[in-house]
Amino acid sequence: MSLALPAKAGEAVRRGPSPRTMIAALVLALIVALALAAPLVAPFDPLDQDLRALNQPPGPEHWLGTDHMGRDVFSRLVMGARTTLMVGFGGALVAFILGAGFGLVALSLGRVAETVMFALIDLVRAMPDVLLALLLIVALGAGAQPVVIALGVAFAPFFAYVARATFHREAVKDYVTAARLFGGGKLHVLRLHLAPNLVGGLVTQAAILLPRCVVTESVLSFLGLGSSPDEPTWGRMVADASRYIETSPHVILAPVIAIILLTLSLSILGEAVRRNLDPLRAAGEAKL
Amino acid sequence: MTNLLHRLAPLAFTLARMLVQAAGIVVIVFLLARLVPGDAVDVKGLEGDLTAAQQVELRHQLGLDRPVVEQLAGWSWRLLNGDFGASIRFGRPVSAMLATALPTTLLFTALSFTFALLLALGVAVSAVTTGHRGLRGLVDVLNVWSIALPTFCVGVVGILVFSIWLGWLPVLGSMVLPVIIIGIDSAGLIVKPLHEELREAATSAHVRTARAKGLAPSRIALRHLLPTAVPVMLALSGLVLTSLVAGTLTMEVLFGLPGVGSLLLNAIHGRDYPVIQAAILVIAIALVIINAATDLLHRLIDPRMTS
Repeated sequence: MSLALPAKAGEAVRRGPSPRTMIAALVLALIVALALAAPLVAPFDPLDQDLRALNQPPGPEHWLGTDHMGRDVFSRLVMGARTTLMVGFGGALVAFILGAGFGLVALSLGRVAETVMFALIDLVRAMPDVLLALLLIVALGAGAQPVVIALGVAFAPFFAYVARATFHREAVKDYVTAARLFGGGKLHVLRLHLAPNLVGGLVTQAAILLPRCVVTESVLSFLGLGSSPDEPTWGRMVADASRYIETSPHVILAPVIAIILLTLSLSILGEAVRRNLDPLRAAGEAKL
Repeated sequence: MTNLLHRLAPLAFTLARMLVQAAGIVVIVFLLARLVPGDAVDVKGLEGDLTAAQQVELRHQLGLDRPVVEQLAGWSWRLLNGDFGASIRFGRPVSAMLATALPTTLLFTALSFTFALLLALGVAVSAVTTGHRGLRGLVDVLNVWSIALPTFCVGVVGILVFSIWLGWLPVLGSMVLPVIIIGIDSAGLIVKPLHEELREAATSAHVRTARAKGLAPSRIALRHLLPTAVPVMLALSGLVLTSLVAGTLTMEVLFGLPGVGSLLLNAIHGRDYPVIQAAILVIAIALVIINAATDLLHRLIDPRMTS
């Protein structure tokens, strides 16, 4: 029974981005560029139906073929990239602001408030995030905005937890004690000395949660709960095409491959960010 | 006496937390369902079945004109008695609809859960005992797989490959593919922490002693490493169950399994609020109970937890 020898400390730290990270960054950049330039790139209106050309295979006119309503798959894919990215990233952003904000307010109000407010978060966390998102969408109605809010609320607790963990780790350090001894008030120390040190952990958490947000968005729109039918999203495209999977698999494969490329590159990049930035893991990582 | 109290206090805490969480979920589900613009009577009214006077009458009958707190209390009381109300669309009691759907979901989650734990344990234990590069690579592959590949996308590819191109499985109604997909997904979620824990255990004194005694690697793996994995598995099983919720929803819809997930989704599309509330409640509260049970079990077998 042999065990892996630990690599020399610091060996992995100095290296530049790995080829894997570079490829992931390129793929993500390409998807974002396509989404931004969607109206210019898309050869057709994503909602235009050509009823004489249903479920066409890929060809010179329709690069990725057409779906069951004769809509151009490539155009729907690049326009769908906009909604998919906007809702996924928007959800992560709302979660960041909501979670970090709530956490910081709880922390600055003192012990009792912290305990009570985090007990409240624990209570919400008892519910799986997908169920909570579902319930919020039922309450708020379908559409892009409710999905962003639902994702934000469902993922906010992670940011609050990270804010609390880094806060307590930093709060006992000498520089904080020094700042307090020099007469710095609690809020002053939090804003000027602690907050900058919380950023690393929070950004890392955002990088880890981003692919999960995008995945949850695509799951919700696959289930028919995402944006409205006139806004193509990748998840909805998969759901629409699933009935024609036998006769025209290319229509379903296009959004499936797009989703996988997006989430895969996001999680590889998230992992790279975590390895380089995360103050919580930095100590442990150096040992491996 | 104090010793007993010392041991019982955390158990009581776990149970109390379970009750508070369950109550919290009931309140959250109730309040969010109240946010919905329009109540059950409005839905019926829109369908044109009721006059305005009949609507007022029905609302009074259903207690929808009473204060919110009173409604919440009444609703919770009926829930405790197993009364989930009746479906707006079908008029059937919701409890009967749940009873029809539950066996499918229970079987599916039990199979996926077991497969996930066995797969994660098998990969982690063999990676630690053999130290094989490929097996350690498999730990990472599984981990990235579960983070980056949405289960419904894997499901679509699986249907294409195994049902349509190879013709091995029926497209709808078969549980084989969904169980494998969800199993791999959930295994990837826990295999990394499990592997790390086992690797640490492999360097501990009792395993070194066992090796020094000349015990066979397989015996060390089974008798000395595996037991250390049990508490970790219990701690991680909550994570698996939570991820199973999303997985069950998508797999039931994609593969046409008539479980609670399909019931919930159909209810959401049909705005059948009593069914939506009941299905979400049942799933969420089942999770709270199972998590409390694993927590208790964890405390029982791992004395470090009580200190």
